[in-house]
Amino acid sequence: MRGFAVVLAAGIVAAVVAGGSDRLFAGTGPATVRITAEQEKILPGVDAGPKGQSPGDTEIVRETLYNHHITSRALGHAEFVCTYTIGRSRLCEGTFFLPKGKLMVEGPLRYRQFYELAVVGGTELYDNARGSLTMTRLSEDPVRTLALFRLVG
Amino acid sequence: VIRRLLHGTSDSLTARTALASVALVVVVGAVAVGLLSAVFAARTAAHKEAEAQALTSATLEVQGLVVDLENSLRGLALSGDEHFVTPWKQARKELDTKLPAFVTLASKVPGERARALDVQDQVHSYITDYAAPLVRSARTEPEAVSTPVATTVGNDWVNAIKSLFAAMLTREQRSANEAAAHANMDSRRAIAVAIAGLVALAAIVALFGVYVARSVARPVRQVADEAQRLAAGEEVTQLRERGSGEVADLTRAFNSMARQLESRQHELEEQNRQLRDSEHAKSELVSIVSHELRTPLTSMLGFTSLLARGDQDEEAQARYLEIIASQGQRLATLLDDFLSVQQLEEGRLELRTEWLNLVPLLRQQAELYSAHSDGHEIVVELDGGTLPVRGDEGRLAQVIGNLLSNAIKYSPDGGRVTLSGLHDGARVLVRVRDEGIGIPDEEQEKLFTKFFRGDAAARGIAGSGLGLAFARAVVEAHEGTIGFTSTEGSGTTFEVDLPAAGAAQTPAQAKTERSSA
Repeated sequence: MRGFAVVLAAGIVAAVVAGGSDRLFAGTGPATVRITAEQEKILPGVDAGPKGQSPGDTEIVRETLYNHHITSRALGHAEFVCTYTIGRSRLCEGTFFLPKGKLMVEGPLRYRQFYELAVVGGTELYDNARGSLTMTRLSEDPVRTLALFRLVG
Repeated sequence: VIRRLLHGTSDSLTARTALASVALVVVVGAVAVGLLSAVFAARTAAHKEAEAQALTSATLEVQGLVVDLENSLRGLALSGDEHFVTPWKQARKELDTKLPAFVTLASKVPGERARALDVQDQVHSYITDYAAPLVRSARTEPEAVSTPVATTVGNDWVNAIKSLFAAMLTREQRSANEAAAHANMDSRRAIAVAIAGLVALAAIVALFGVYVARSVARPVRQVADEAQRLAAGEEVTQLRERGSGEVADLTRAFNSMARQLESRQHELEEQNRQLRDSEHAKSELVSIVSHELRTPLTSMLGFTSLLARGDQDEEAQARYLEIIASQGQRLATLLDDFLSVQQLEEGRLELRTEWLNLVPLLRQQAELYSAHSDGHEIVVELDGGTLPVRGDEGRLAQVIGNLLSNAIKYSPDGGRVTLSGLHDGARVLVRVRDEGIGIPDEEQEKLFTKFFRGDAAARGIAGSGLGLAFARAVVEAHEGTIGFTSTEGSGTTFEVDLPAAGAAQTPAQAKTERSSA
């Protein structure tokens, strides 16, 4: 699990920080939001098969969410659980914990530098959210990832 | 307004010229302000258009660099060839200088600065959040950058930036078009203002020219024409006073000069006429004197020759001597008249003024002239009182005598001659009325002129033509007046009006007064 550092960036900070961002998410309107996720730690999960990386193994990643354009303080955090499938491919599920609700994402991941997940739902303010999340690795040390949400409804 | 300006409050040509000049200055100033305003507006619009075009160029340049970035990244992602990194670095380096210049240009266009900053932020984000990680990942994880996810993310970035560029270019193009339209409109406005100003100036100049021609040139021309006519000795008419101020003054001065010249010309003509009359009168005088002197002299010489023969009896001799004495007296009287006339002309007629009652004088003169003619009845009419005057008894007797003599001479058929005296308050009036031939109207005006005798000579009436002139001079010297009324064929009445004197003075007072006179 150590070699695996799934960097997921997610989170919508605008709803927490600015009213304008609130409106972007209110009622599932279309919106594009960028936030930066800084990897906090990687926790080993289940080692289901032979020792080492094998299908069925899991890893847990926790990240702290920032939007440096708005504030230097953390806006929330994200947690991902990824299950290895074939080779280095994984199937990940993640939750972005934001002050006014949660956003749930899910999808396959092969290269950590660039990957895309589906926004499958949300709670409270983000109830019934839909769209996509594109993650781009910005730096390796510390591991920072740009999370770009494109919400369509 | 122009009429009020030109014919307004002041009649002075100077003031009107000043007003017209001020109007010209105001119009020129207004036109200049309008032109400058339009030119500045056109320049401003042109400047805006240039700024918009410069911003468009900068936008296109930045957009080109972003496309260069995208192309080089795409090549790198698809091929993994490091050669694509070089143009990527070049484009990125150029962007470091072009983007701030782009923002600076956009800042000059209202509303574009925020958008330019947005573009700059997007481009920076594209570079730092996508391009740089992609280049780095291309070296460490080449397969990762060639995934559809990586290219899609890049496309999305670039498309978003391109949409911003497109929006900016659209606005800039619109702004440039609007600025060009404004510049064009302002240019047309400047031309219109210039044309309107020129027309207004031409109108003012033309109006002023018409005004000068009508109010200055024409009156001056008329004055010049009339002056030429005046110089040529022609009769001039009074010019109508038109024009303003100084021109009207010129016309008035010319009219005044013409009137004075005309008056002096009339005076000269009158003097010439008087000179001619005087010459004529003197010629008549010579004739009269010759006749008047020759007649008694001939008579005296004839009777003297008769007496010299000594063959007459005493009675005849006495009659001859009486005739000689009478003719001598006639010559003496004639010489006295001449002397009096001389004194009149030289203004040294001496009066021996004293208090005088005219009643005895009138009676004496009536008796004297009654003896001269048997065919005339001289009637004296007095109111019974005194006729007190202050005057020279001898001269006044001459006056009355002249009037009675004329009354007799000009009544060839005889008749009544009435001599009346009246004391009327402050005046003493003496009238001599005859029933003679009267005075023709055309002769009445000249009656008191020296040597004027009208057609008396033709009628065979003796006289020197000095009697009435002498009478008027004497009466006026007594502060009185003399006049007459006459109807041709019905007779003439002369009236002497003298100021009445107070009570009689003592002989001593009279003597003192006589010596002072």
